[in-house]
Amino acid sequence: MAPIIRITDLTKKFGNVTAVDHLNLEVEEGEILGLLGPNGAGKTTTILMLATVIRPTDGTATVGEYDIRKNPEKVRGLLGIAFQEPKMLWVSTPWDIVNWHAKVCGLSTEERKRRVKEVLESLEMWEARHRNVHALSGGMRKRVEMAKVLIQRPKIAIVDEPTAQIDIVGKHRIWNMLTELRDEGSTIILATNELYEADVLSDRVGIIHRGKMLVCDTPKKLKDSILGGDIIDIQLEEAASPDIFQELKKFKDVVDVLQLKPFNLRIYLNKVEEVIPKIVNMLTKKDSPIVSLRMTEPSLDDVFVHYTGLTIEEAQKSGE
Amino acid sequence: MKAIIHILEHDFRNFFRYKWWLVGLISMNLADLFIMAIVYNRMLNPDVTNTIGGYFQFFAPGLTVTGLFASAFMIGREINMERRREVHHYMLSLPMTRFELAMGRVLSGGLRGMLYMSPLLATCLILLPNVPTIEQFLLILAVLFLLATGISGLSIAIAVSTSSLEKFITARGLVYYTLFFCSSVFYPLYLIQSLASSGFPTVLITLAEINPLSNASDMIRSFLLGYPSFSPTMVFNVVVFSVIFTLSAAFAYMKIIERK
Ligand SMILES: Nc1ncnc2c1ncn2[C@@H]1O[C@H](COP(=O)(O)OP(=O)(O)OP(=O)(O)O)[C@@H](O)[C@H]1O
Ligand SMILES: [Mg+2]
Repeated sequence: MAPIIRITDLTKKFGNVTAVDHLNLEVEEGEILGLLGPNGAGKTTTILMLATVIRPTDGTATVGEYDIRKNPEKVRGLLGIAFQEPKMLWVSTPWDIVNWHAKVCGLSTEERKRRVKEVLESLEMWEARHRNVHALSGGMRKRVEMAKVLIQRPKIAIVDEPTAQIDIVGKHRIWNMLTELRDEGSTIILATNELYEADVLSDRVGIIHRGKMLVCDTPKKLKDSILGGDIIDIQLEEAASPDIFQELKKFKDVVDVLQLKPFNLRIYLNKVEEVIPKIVNMLTKKDSPIVSLRMTEPSLDDVFVHYTGLTIEEAQKSGE
Repeated sequence: MKAIIHILEHDFRNFFRYKWWLVGLISMNLADLFIMAIVYNRMLNPDVTNTIGGYFQFFAPGLTVTGLFASAFMIGREINMERRREVHHYMLSLPMTRFELAMGRVLSGGLRGMLYMSPLLATCLILLPNVPTIEQFLLILAVLFLLATGISGLSIAIAVSTSSLEKFITARGLVYYTLFFCSSVFYPLYLIQSLASSGFPTVLITLAEINPLSNASDMIRSFLLGYPSFSPTMVFNVVVFSVIFTLSAAFAYMKIIERK
């Protein structure tokens, strides 16, 4: 089946900042595609171009069968977007906002009334529906922004950090509602910088960094793709010397060693049971006592580290 | 077409959020009218009062037009604010064409102006001596509506080309003062024209002559007051103004707002 969205060499420059840099991606109908990347990676800019809100500098995309440059009206007819920053005037109320949105998107009066109530109730915004936006908390505004798309049930839903600022109960509720939306037939693009969210929700995850798509696959395949099936995190009493670093790399089953912080090492390796005693021995010989040692399985974090050379926290710190 | 109705609904809802403020403004406009009428009548040279027949009668149509101007201009402030808060990203993502969006905004501004102005126009109809024919009344409404959309367009064009609120307000002030004071809203056109002999800049006189606020006020006066006499150029000037600014607003809204 042809992909429902096909992005080809999509590029956006703001002055001399290249926010999105020849991005390529295909989204299959009926999937949740996670766009994972640190602050400033270009997720929102990509979304705004797909939504035909801003024009690409170069490249294009087709949404459904329509080109975003040639048939923007048709593209907008297929999309529903929950923006990263809630886009609403402070004098309006949640009810006015979602009700008007549902009208503009062509819901029948009866369906509109039913769905507005249903969704606002699920998001625990029914009580507050007549309050002014300026009197709502950040998380509540974000819920209103999400409600628009959940009421609309568009063919393609684009949600930009849907659960940022939302409490943990709310997060789970929104994740369930997004999964339901997908199961009812919508295709969803989910931009996020939360690894856990990308992992649990997405059918496929694309990792985006400095405006480029580094890799895109199912979370499982991404995790399997990094060499070495196991990971150990070691914390040392003092900073690891280059010597120790070299010694570790010499072990046959060690695939890679990263120094996350001066005292912390992350080792990607195979046959962890056989190698650990040898590593412990070596460190003892080098007079470098171990404070803690922990075994983990690869997460999307490791996938991210693998492809960008940064942890997501580091990437965010260095992010523009 | 449906999309335009939705935009009108959106903008009228925002307008009515300020209903008490609007009621206050209209009351103040009316109070102004009566106070100025009494005070100015006493200040005026009897020659002038003889020609224009009392300041109240003269000023009521002018005030109607300035009320229309100020209220039709409000849409620009909202659009400027939307742009600063990036709410326009949302508007631009809605399933409608850019033209529908832009025309919807221009029309809302104009219709809101008409609504605001209606009590002022009603006051003129009640208190001024002549009763217009149906045709004259419809022509007044049509000209005021065109003027209102033109003003709405002007305010939108300014709103999308100014990045900050201060710039918008400065530009608004400039437009207000130029169009209000270089017009026959507050003083008869013949008085302004007579200033030419005392070295008053002809540019300003010409501006007052073609100013759509002058033309609209004078047209109402000609039907309700019998002074000055009606001339088709009054309608023509308003139409030209309105077409220019409605189109430039639509164009600016469609182009500038999508640029970033
Ligand atoms: N309107 C703009 N003008 C100038 N630069 C911009 C503009 N919008 C985005 N950028 C720049 O483009 C880059 C990508 O920004 P974008 O908002 O797409 O990132 P993001 O992946 O959504 O990040 P976040 O996780 O913080 O939301 C950043 O360097 C940003 O500074
Ligand atoms: Mg973003």
